[in-house]
Amino acid sequence: MPVFKTPFNGYSVKFSPFYENRLAVGTAQNFGILGNGRLHVLELSPEPSLPIAEVAAFDTADGVYDVAWSESHESIVVAAVADGSVKLYDLALPPSQNPIRSFHEHSREVHSADYNPVRRDSFLSSSWDDSVKLWTLDRPTSLRTFREHAYCVYSAVWNPRHADVFASASGDCTLRVWDVREPSSTIILPAHDFEILACDWNKYDDCLISTASVDKSVKVWDIRSFRVPLCVLNGHSYAVRKLKFSPHVRNLIVSCSYDMTVCVWDFMLEDALLSRYDHHTEFAVGVDFSVLVEGLLASTGWDELVYVWQHGTDPRAP
Amino acid sequence: MQFSMEPKTQTPANGLPPKPWEQAGSSSGPAPFKPPSAGNTSDVVEASGTAKPGEIVATSDRSAAVNRNSLGRPVPARPWEQNYGNSTYGGYGSALNYNSGYGSTYGGLGGGIYGGGGLYGNSMYRGGYGGMYGSSGMYGGGMYNSGFGGPMGGYGMGAGPYGDQDPNNPYGGPPSHPGFWVSALRVMQGVVNFFGRIAILIDQNTQAFHMFMTALLQLFDRSGLLYGELARFVLRLLGIKTKQRKFGPPGPNGQPLPGPHNSSGNVNYIEAPKAAPSGSWDNVWGNDPTQ
Repeated sequence: MPVFKTPFNGYSVKFSPFYENRLAVGTAQNFGILGNGRLHVLELSPEPSLPIAEVAAFDTADGVYDVAWSESHESIVVAAVADGSVKLYDLALPPSQNPIRSFHEHSREVHSADYNPVRRDSFLSSSWDDSVKLWTLDRPTSLRTFREHAYCVYSAVWNPRHADVFASASGDCTLRVWDVREPSSTIILPAHDFEILACDWNKYDDCLISTASVDKSVKVWDIRSFRVPLCVLNGHSYAVRKLKFSPHVRNLIVSCSYDMTVCVWDFMLEDALLSRYDHHTEFAVGVDFSVLVEGLLASTGWDELVYVWQHGTDPRAP
Repeated sequence: MQFSMEPKTQTPANGLPPKPWEQAGSSSGPAPFKPPSAGNTSDVVEASGTAKPGEIVATSDRSAAVNRNSLGRPVPARPWEQNYGNSTYGGYGSALNYNSGYGSTYGGLGGGIYGGGGLYGNSMYRGGYGGMYGSSGMYGGGMYNSGFGGPMGGYGMGAGPYGDQDPNNPYGGPPSHPGFWVSALRVMQGVVNFFGRIAILIDQNTQAFHMFMTALLQLFDRSGLLYGELARFVLRLLGIKTKQRKFGPPGPNGQPLPGPHNSSGNVNYIEAPKAAPSGSWDNVWGNDPTQ
């Protein structure tokens, strides 16, 4: 299975929603603590034995903590940069004309970006300045700022079935569900006793959401009855950094953790942990499911490697 | 691998392949959301009256946000705020607004808040580089022409406040050098930033960090003991006799007296090799509880 070596430490990887063989990777120098960043756009070659090719790369003045593909233009990528800016890159344009936009409204590191998959004209950014911002391409500034969290917001994710609803996961140990038409959050979920680092919506049930936390667990919640979690997935030995619901299988979740492993779960089974991949030799901090190819996974980590593999196979197999 | 690698023909803007979940209906009951509105996001948000374009979350007024803490417990101060008064930050925040105004003037080109290069076309590695960090001695300095190297590296001097010294930059005026305080504050910002990121990382790895520290302390503890043992061994080799633990005069039961009476000897009870007092180890610790 193909592997790509990035010059900097990996932070995030996302499959393109338009091309099944294309992915974007956000990286940061010196583990994202100090230095530059780079956004890579990679293309898998038709032969699995051939290496991954780099289509484009863009340098930034600070680490790239997250990337998100546009759902409306196949060549546009959003980068969440650690200097507090949100940048848009157009692969169709020469490097000298990129980035096509650079929004500076967050006062701290931007930690996540997510493009609206339903209405496809807006995206969210969440930042360590405790806020989430809503952006559209037709406005020069952010459209709205969501400020209720009391600590860093690590992740903000759109509901895949509802154009106006998203959720945000924060270090204040709450998950909040928002409607962009409402002045304040509609649901506050005290989901964990420690910081929540990531969340994602189930693609087949718009009321199910999962959270990943420093307490080493992944929890799945039904937001209509949020007193108790639907289930708790234990198996990681350190904080769980990111997680993703499968776009193809209702109950499948992939998560990556500071314990350097990537785990795939079926949250409805008693033995929820389906597989554990320990191919990374440093913190695994980015993982994604392909929307176009069922079971295709990508992960990246601080070992500066990007792996792409089919679920059930060994990522390191040549 | 089952994916075919022929890239599809350039899909038009609305030619997004359908999501796998779009065909399936939602499997559970009614959701607690208002039905989605028609129209694009900008219109929907503006129609709802909640739009507030371009709001900048300054560090200083973060604590003034409404409805913020539903936790019922105090939230820790942010790591980067702990040692710095808000006044310092206030001054800084204003510089930030200033720059963002600049950014919007030039539309998409934007303005690096701290002159971080790259926004003006291709000249990524101009002076502005060090801008954010100041301390980037590693890549500062000569490597990318930012002028002033040094351990705290090239701060500001290589780049004016706007980071453009590029002669090809159509927007650049003559670069003005930042004042001393501006530079000093930027350096401070860089340092605070650096520690802030480390702190966040430790934050996210609370348990891991705890275990690491425990292991480290244990290691120090052990290595201290090892050092003592080695030193004694070497001294022995050199023929210097270290004092052995001497047992005091027998106590009433024929046992060595515990405690202060032994003060003449080596009191390192745990590690000193104990000359086994005639037979059993049981008595080393004092009175045998069985007696």
